[in-house]
Amino acid sequence: MTVAAKEKTIHPAQLKEAADWAISLHYESPGAVHQQAFERWLNTSPAHEDAWQRAQAVFETFKQIDSNTGKTAVRNLQQNHLTRRRALELFSTAFITLSAGWIAHQQLPWQRWTAQVATRTGEQKSLALPDGSRLVLNTASAIDIIFSEHERRVRLIDGEILITTHADSAPTPRPFLVETNNGLLRALGTRFSVRQLDKSHCRLAVFEHAVELHNFTSGQKQQINAGKQIEFAAHGNTAPIPLDNSNALWEKGILLAKGMRLGDVVAELSRYRPGILRCAPEVNELLVSGSLSLVDTEASLALLEKNLPVQISRTTNYWVTVSARI
Amino acid sequence: MSNPLPHAITESLYRDHHSWLRGWLRGRLGCSQQAADLAQDTFLRLMNNRRPLSTIGDKPRALLTHIAKGLVIDHWRKRDVERAYLDALMQLPEGEAPSPETTHLIIETLTRIDAMLWRMSARTRDIFLLAQLEGLTLEQIATQTQTPVITVRRHIHKALLACMELA
Repeated sequence: MTVAAKEKTIHPAQLKEAADWAISLHYESPGAVHQQAFERWLNTSPAHEDAWQRAQAVFETFKQIDSNTGKTAVRNLQQNHLTRRRALELFSTAFITLSAGWIAHQQLPWQRWTAQVATRTGEQKSLALPDGSRLVLNTASAIDIIFSEHERRVRLIDGEILITTHADSAPTPRPFLVETNNGLLRALGTRFSVRQLDKSHCRLAVFEHAVELHNFTSGQKQQINAGKQIEFAAHGNTAPIPLDNSNALWEKGILLAKGMRLGDVVAELSRYRPGILRCAPEVNELLVSGSLSLVDTEASLALLEKNLPVQISRTTNYWVTVSARI
Repeated sequence: MSNPLPHAITESLYRDHHSWLRGWLRGRLGCSQQAADLAQDTFLRLMNNRRPLSTIGDKPRALLTHIAKGLVIDHWRKRDVERAYLDALMQLPEGEAPSPETTHLIIETLTRIDAMLWRMSARTRDIFLLAQLEGLTLEQIATQTQTPVITVRRHIHKALLACMELA
């Protein structure tokens, strides 16, 4: 349908005119005069018709996804646009940025240094920051790193990170801060992880020393000590609860389940694979104990199928359901 | 296809570079099957390359990596599109999953649309989608975004032209 028009080289000026007409006819309500003027333009030259076909091809393409599902899919894609752009562009630029940072580190570690890092679904990345701190990004995560003379700041945009801070070598030691949508965390010499659960909801887990949490909305400041985890959102913080030590095993690519609900296990595995992985309600409450791979989720599913009364069914490779075995 | 590489050269390139290219791709994709597929595609692209032989010259690695990078990015983008579509499908009632054929066609179309939208600035894209997805008129978009109608029109014009380039 579009091939014929595509092969031809069309003058940019004519494409512009065609786009102009397309806007008038598709997005404005044209009067009769408009319509006649358009037909005159269209019939003036075959080149006009080629340009017009090209514009129509755009509308045809969008018409093919003119369902709620198609539109939602486009919106989903655009919502993640920034994260995706970073992940894709980083593929070609990250190395350069990081090596530039490394050179700065060799000279003056407290100098300004910024970077953007992202991971895709199923990917993890480990970074050594110029101050000696270590940072691991979990699956589908994105961060900005902004080091200035006054602070070392990591902005969590999406996903989950694990940070092991290192004493700053700048003349005046700078605080290490993690900024999320809902709050600011100040590391007090420490190892901790932060996960953006959804747009307005974060979880902090402290493995060593302590972290000070400043909730932006409630203004509340609270110190969370080692061995505790807490969730914070606009409406406030939950009470700290004892830390589940298997929490940070994702760094090693392992999900350690100790009497974990199957529904939760499946939700966790689904973070690490593209497509949809669902757990049928009737098996949600089955309890799972054992060690599962986050790197090879196929193997983990096979293991679940082997050890529990469940079956894995695939509509496509990207749509997998865990349900009761029949 | 206008200036394909002579077969002898393609063959020697393949012999010398196929193996490390596969390794390189495996490191990026984490899957040897996909790496093998994309390595084949990389050589296919190279064979159909329109550039004269001399530009490949002494840097076949750089060129192969360049082509392979483009393919890896396309591959990831397609995966993102699939994920976005399936996330959208999740909102359908159980049992209303479309057939694999329909899914395939829609994903192809979504990939094309994604490529069209990719190169636009955020603002141009947002305004264009208000017209194209939400069906708003220029005036409605102007009110909603507090932007003069003429500016809204200019953004849509720009977006449409960008789409027409790939249509």
